[in-house]
Amino acid sequence: MVKITLNRVSAVRDHWSLSASGTFNEGVHLVSGDIGSGKSTLAFMMAGLLPLSGGHIEKEEITTTMLSLQFPELHVTGLTVAEECASWGVDPDEILDAVRLAGKKEESPLSLSRGELKRLHLACVLAKNYDLLLLDEPFSSLDCEEKVKLCAHIGQKSQGITVIFTHEQNILPRVKQIWEIVDGMLVNCGTPPDAFTHWRHVPQLIERLTALGSRPENISLEDLREAVCRIQG
Amino acid sequence: MITAEFLCYRKLTIDSLEIKPGITTIIGANGSGKTTFLKLCAGIAVPDSGSLLIDDALPRETETGWVNEFPDRNILFVNVFDEIASPLRFRRIPCNEIDSNVRACAETLGITYLLQRAVRDLSGGEKVLVSLAAALVHHPKVLVLDEYDSHLDAHSLAKIEQGIRRSGAEYVIRCTQQMSTAINSDFLLFFDSGRITHAGPPHDIFPFLKGTAYYPLLWGC
Repeated sequence: MVKITLNRVSAVRDHWSLSASGTFNEGVHLVSGDIGSGKSTLAFMMAGLLPLSGGHIEKEEITTTMLSLQFPELHVTGLTVAEECASWGVDPDEILDAVRLAGKKEESPLSLSRGELKRLHLACVLAKNYDLLLLDEPFSSLDCEEKVKLCAHIGQKSQGITVIFTHEQNILPRVKQIWEIVDGMLVNCGTPPDAFTHWRHVPQLIERLTALGSRPENISLEDLREAVCRIQG
Repeated sequence: MITAEFLCYRKLTIDSLEIKPGITTIIGANGSGKTTFLKLCAGIAVPDSGSLLIDDALPRETETGWVNEFPDRNILFVNVFDEIASPLRFRRIPCNEIDSNVRACAETLGITYLLQRAVRDLSGGEKVLVSLAAALVHHPKVLVLDEYDSHLDAHSLAKIEQGIRRSGAEYVIRCTQQMSTAINSDFLLFFDSGRITHAGPPHDIFPFLKGTAYYPLLWGC
C-alpha cells in the first residue's frame, strides 16, 4: 500500500518555520491553512523539490510523484498549446477536446486566459495516474462549474495518494482526511465528519450547518447540498 | 454613478448599465467577459465603441486602484514597503507622509509584518495583500479587484472585507468565483458569453442561479 510519512520534517527561514509529522495513506487528503502558513512549502518538501531543514520523509511504494503548482504559467514549456500537451506525454486532440480548447491548438499557452491555462494544465496532470499527486491551490482561477468538474475527477480517483493544498471553502471533493497548518505546525484533524470539531479552518457553511443540527458527512458539494436539504426540506 | 451605453469591446457588449456607489461583484464563467469589463472600468482598456463613464468622467481621468489575480504581473519593486509606497512616490508626496500612509494602510490590512520582506519570498496570497495595499494607499475613488480572493484564506478575506469597506473607495468593482464573497455585495452582475444576463442586489439575483454552481448554499441558511 502506498504511503508517505513525514517524520519531524521542518522548514526554517528567518523568523518563520514549519514542522510536520504524520502519515498520508492512499486516498484524497485536504491540507488547509492561512496564507503564508507553509502549504506550498510543505507540498514542495513532499515532492522532494525543497531540502528539509530537519527530519526525514519515508515513501512506500511511491514510484511516481507529480506536483501541480499554484500558478500554471510556471509549468509551461511548449511554444504552442499542442506542444504543451505533448510535453506532458498526452494526446493533444484528446485533451483539448475535453477542455474545450480544440480551436487554440497552435496558439501560445501564455496567450490563453488564466482559467483556460489552468484547465489545460490540470487536464494534462490528471490524464495520468501518479502514486503521489500534490495539487497546490488547484481551484484558483477556475470558475465554479470547472471547480465542480475538477472535484468529480478527483473523486473518481481510485488509487494513489492525492493531497490538495488549498484555502478553497465552497467547492471541494469528498476527502478521506483533513489536515491544517496552525502556528507553524501540521495538524491532523482526522476524518470527516468528526474532523469538523477540531478543524480551525472549517468552512463557514459547515460550521453553520453543524450549528443548525445538520452536520454534513463530508465536505463535497453533494454532502453540503444534502445537509442543506435536511434543513430546508 | 458608473454608466455604460452601447458599450462594445472585443466580445463584450453592454447596451445599458448603471452602477451606484458601493460594492459591485461580477460573477460568471471563465471567458464570459468579467476581466474585460474590469479592465474598462480601470482604464486599462478603452471601448471599441460606446461609452463607460464614472461620475461623468472617463476611467483614465479617475483615481483608480487595480489588483490583478496574478499580482506578479503588476508588482514592480523588490521590497514590500517600496511596492506599497510606489503610487505615492510617483505622485511626489513628501517622504514623511509616504511613511505614515504606508504603515497605516499595512495596519488596516494586517500586513505590517510583511513591510520589510522581499516580494520574491512572499506566498501567492501575501502578494495579493501587498498589491491590495498598493492599490489602496493613495485612496482611489474606484477600486477594481480581479479575482483577488482566489489566493486568500477565509480569515484574511474577512479582514480584507473590512479594509475594503473602510477604504473610502466610492466604487468597488470586483469579480470572484467565491460565492461567499459575492454574498457580501451591494450589487451583482452575472456575465454570460460577453453579456450581462442578470443585474441587481444579491437577493434578486441568486434565486435565478439556484441549482447552478453559482448559487451559494450559505444563502439558504
